Amino acid sequence: MSKQVIGAGIRGANVVVDRVEGKINAAIEKYGKDQAVALPNTAYYLPVIYGITGEKVETLGDMLPIMEKCRQLLADVPVDNCWTPYLGPGLDSGMAALFAFDMEEALKYLGDDCPYLASKEDPEETDADIWLGAADDIILRKRGVEFVDGSAPGFAVIVGAASNPEAAAKIAKELQEKSIYVFMASNNEKGTSFAKQLVEAGVQIGWNTRLVPFGFDHPSAIHGVGFAVRAALTFGGKTPGDHVGVLKYIKDRIFAFIIALGPVCDEQYAAACGAINFGVPTIADTDFPQVLPTGVCTYEHVVTNIPESEIVTKAIEVRGLKITISKIDIPMPYGPAFEGERIKKDAMHVELGGPKSFGFEFAYSKPLDQVEDGKFTVIGPNIKDVEEGGLLPIGIWIELAGRKFQEDFEPILERQCHHLLNGAEGILHIGQRDIVWMRISKKAVAAGFTFEHFGTILHAKMHNEFGAIVDKVQVTIITDADEVNKRMEICRKTWTERDNRLSDMNDETTETFYSCSLCQSFAPTHVCVVTPERPGLCGAYNWLDCRASYEINEHGPNQPIAKGDVMDERLGKWKGVDEFVIPASGNAFESFAAYSILVDPMTSCGCFEAIAACLFAANGIMVVDRDYSGETPCGMGFSTLAGSVGGGLQTPGFVGISKFYIGSKKFISAEGGIKRLCWLPKALKEASKDMIDARGAEVGIPNLYDMIATEENGTDEETIMAFLTEAGHPCLEMEQLMEMM
Amino acid sequence: MAFSAQTEKYSGKMGTLTLGSGDQAITVGGQAAMPFAAFDGELPNKPIVAMEVYDVVSPDWPAAVVEPFKDVINDPIAWAKKNVEEYGAKAICLQLISTDPNGDDKDAAYAADLVAKMLDAISVPLVVWGSGNVEKDAEVLAKICEVNEGKNLLVGPAVEENYKKIAAAALGYGHAVVSQSPIDVNMAKQMNILISNLGLPMDKIIMEPSTAALGYGVEYSYSVMERISLAALAQNDEKMQCPMINDIGKECWKAREVMLTDKEEPGFGPDQEKRGILWEAITAMDMAIAGSNLLIMRNPKAVKLVEECIDELMA
Ligand code: SF4
Repeated sequence: MSKQVIGAGIRGANVVVDRVEGKINAAIEKYGKDQAVALPNTAYYLPVIYGITGEKVETLGDMLPIMEKCRQLLADVPVDNCWTPYLGPGLDSGMAALFAFDMEEALKYLGDDCPYLASKEDPEETDADIWLGAADDIILRKRGVEFVDGSAPGFAVIVGAASNPEAAAKIAKELQEKSIYVFMASNNEKGTSFAKQLVEAGVQIGWNTRLVPFGFDHPSAIHGVGFAVRAALTFGGKTPGDHVGVLKYIKDRIFAFIIALGPVCDEQYAAACGAINFGVPTIADTDFPQVLPTGVCTYEHVVTNIPESEIVTKAIEVRGLKITISKIDIPMPYGPAFEGERIKKDAMHVELGGPKSFGFEFAYSKPLDQVEDGKFTVIGPNIKDVEEGGLLPIGIWIELAGRKFQEDFEPILERQCHHLLNGAEGILHIGQRDIVWMRISKKAVAAGFTFEHFGTILHAKMHNEFGAIVDKVQVTIITDADEVNKRMEICRKTWTERDNRLSDMNDETTETFYSCSLCQSFAPTHVCVVTPERPGLCGAYNWLDCRASYEINEHGPNQPIAKGDVMDERLGKWKGVDEFVIPASGNAFESFAAYSILVDPMTSCGCFEAIAACLFAANGIMVVDRDYSGETPCGMGFSTLAGSVGGGLQTPGFVGISKFYIGSKKFISAEGGIKRLCWLPKALKEASKDMIDARGAEVGIPNLYDMIATEENGTDEETIMAFLTEAGHPCLEMEQLMEMM
Repeated sequence: MAFSAQTEKYSGKMGTLTLGSGDQAITVGGQAAMPFAAFDGELPNKPIVAMEVYDVVSPDWPAAVVEPFKDVINDPIAWAKKNVEEYGAKAICLQLISTDPNGDDKDAAYAADLVAKMLDAISVPLVVWGSGNVEKDAEVLAKICEVNEGKNLLVGPAVEENYKKIAAAALGYGHAVVSQSPIDVNMAKQMNILISNLGLPMDKIIMEPSTAALGYGVEYSYSVMERISLAALAQNDEKMQCPMINDIGKECWKAREVMLTDKEEPGFGPDQEKRGILWEAITAMDMAIAGSNLLIMRNPKAVKLVEECIDELMA
């Protein structure tokens, strides 16, 4: 597989080290061992050597021990018929080649015929040549800051040359558009270089356009590595010689990759092997064996045979580079201020979907190579084809791909459409799934809005807000009625599958629960422990949401909890949960029972959708929700109850819950679950009918729904007792709640 | 049996932050006990007041506010010098107002130059506070960092939307950053994590958990700061162990009770200056008692009052 590449690398490294040794000896002969050598204006000596080994090369004499080191690192060229492990020796030999290059470049600054324009940001027309050589520390600091703050997402080292100047210009532009720095070095077998091709195509080069011509020959590519190493020392605070730290910083933070255009020679293979040490992969347009197994680099190491036109996209994918889009390119303003905007009938140009038509929005994921990032297509009439006041069906079909994307994130991103599209002035968005309803204002249309802009917005915002999980976003907008109908079927089928997915999960077979501490801002000791069968009590966060939120932001309010050993199955107590809850509640609580209202119930913050409370006389449980303002059988209305239960307290006998939890198998299951439910506000009861019927049937009481009292049957325990007795409610026969405390 | 006072032992300790460089440097933070509770643990550095200087002053400032600086009000450099030389300021906070794009919209180069000149003119550490416009502050503060490399300024506020640019520049050019969060313990912690993840060490970060003036929600600031202190000390939460700073002058001197004359609101009494001084001093003391390490204040008399009070409590 990749033996050929590594073999060539080792061969190349041997050639490089031999050559540089010769050059060092010649220089020593000419200038003496004490002759100072340095790259211009830097405190980092020969940066690659200094960063990795901690050795300061200040004179020609200092190069000799480094040469020794190179010799130690160099492996023998593998023989064809001998199968020894090769990746390790390949990487070591590559590193030797990089050290040698570092010294070879420094030698160029000796004497009068230095090929580089010293300490310049951009070559000018009056200059003899275009090559800039090593960046000095001033440039390093100024540009390096951009790598830290993310305005430069990474850099590409381009070696060789494109097939022609126009192709080179196109590649450069594509990288520039993504704010990626392009470091150019070396030339191809015809003596053509990428940098010269750009000049020929009339492209402005230099640090200021982020197209940096380092040098004409292969060794000059080392300045890219030197830049990265110095960034690790300057911004990463790494100590010179801490090679693990330096390598890791570059791998995790600098996001560099090599694009090799045209045939690759042994010396370049050697450099590629060296680069792998830094997590820097090589992507080539020629065909040679790949080095795919991941391990050192984030993903693949060497990927080959990628057509010139696709090489940038592929390189970004292989390096795992995250792109952010600073400006959403639409003709109207965008921001949270427009989210609440209403568009009245007379201000509206066109209405999409909604009650008078139909439509959907749908997001799903595909393999990386099947999604074209930033491609927006419209099927059916576009905005110019509709009269003012028109009506169209709408389908928003979003295809997503990402290295870290999981199917479970699909609904979460789909739900974002509402919030993301509403942010644009002139777009009103209501609903989700197959009840979407949108209006586009006349003003937006006058400004130049077209349906493709839905894609522009979704693409930009999904990259920016969900970059951790999304790498590619492609959007198709459908206004053709037949096509909308056709795809609607696929959507509906998928939605049903999705709905079943969470309901198929259970707490027993799930090892990781999630915490939510969002509400600690006002209830400092409150923590929600969210399990597949017990959503957060606000109803806004189920287990999948928490997991996705953690994947997107690992420092956010949702943290994974390894549930650990079961301590009490009935109550829902796990070792890992308790261990988590103690520090997370600021030592306020020692134990949480997920399924109990009486023993260590979970804390209630303030944003519970409903409150469950014990009715001891009835031996049952009532639930009252936020929308009900009347009295309840426990003697308190919702707001009084909320006042005494909330604030991050554990209050045995009361617990804040989400409405959805009523339908869970784990609904207060420690005390008997749904069979205890004896009173609900009428509106909540009606809204929960399906859940109650389903659960009632499961526990063998199919007519449970009819046995549950509402305010119409009474708002004090005595009155409802009469009702429950007459209805034959099961709670009356159950174990006394009082005795379960 | 002899009386022995109950003491509280904490497992954690606040980090420190050093402002300025050379022999004018000041270190704040490092406390191993709740504010002024020296009987519980070591309090190595007392809270410091940084006196405000504005690059431009709004014409609405009442005479009583302008009075102590009336000869220098249009010259921030002279104002800074006066604060140091005449009012004994231990540190200066330059409040940039004119860079706000909704106001004079002065550019980053102007601000960077002003900071350089101020550094030349004064011998105490300098804090530079942006106009509050998220995008512009990022640009302006980053430029200030670049131009004034190695001076160990404290720049801010860095908020969730602009911290990357500001913190990266501070890291690259050797400065410290104010990490501001909207009265929320978790957000304060998250900001510290985000900033330190960029590579800026924790001893280059100071938190501003949002300051509210007396009568305008000071109790919220107080309780958030107290909880931050407890998380840092009692729970030894490393990501909460940054010292704290409060932007007080600006909040206090816009309070209705300070701005209105007794003609407009007779119940407030004639001595507008005294009202303002007390308003600012009481707010500042509240913040100090809540755990603040660096207080940004305006009026010299209020500063004096607060410094005396702090000295007494630390004695
Ligand atoms: S109530 Fe909702 S938002 Fe609050 S902590 Fe629980 S899950 Fe999070």
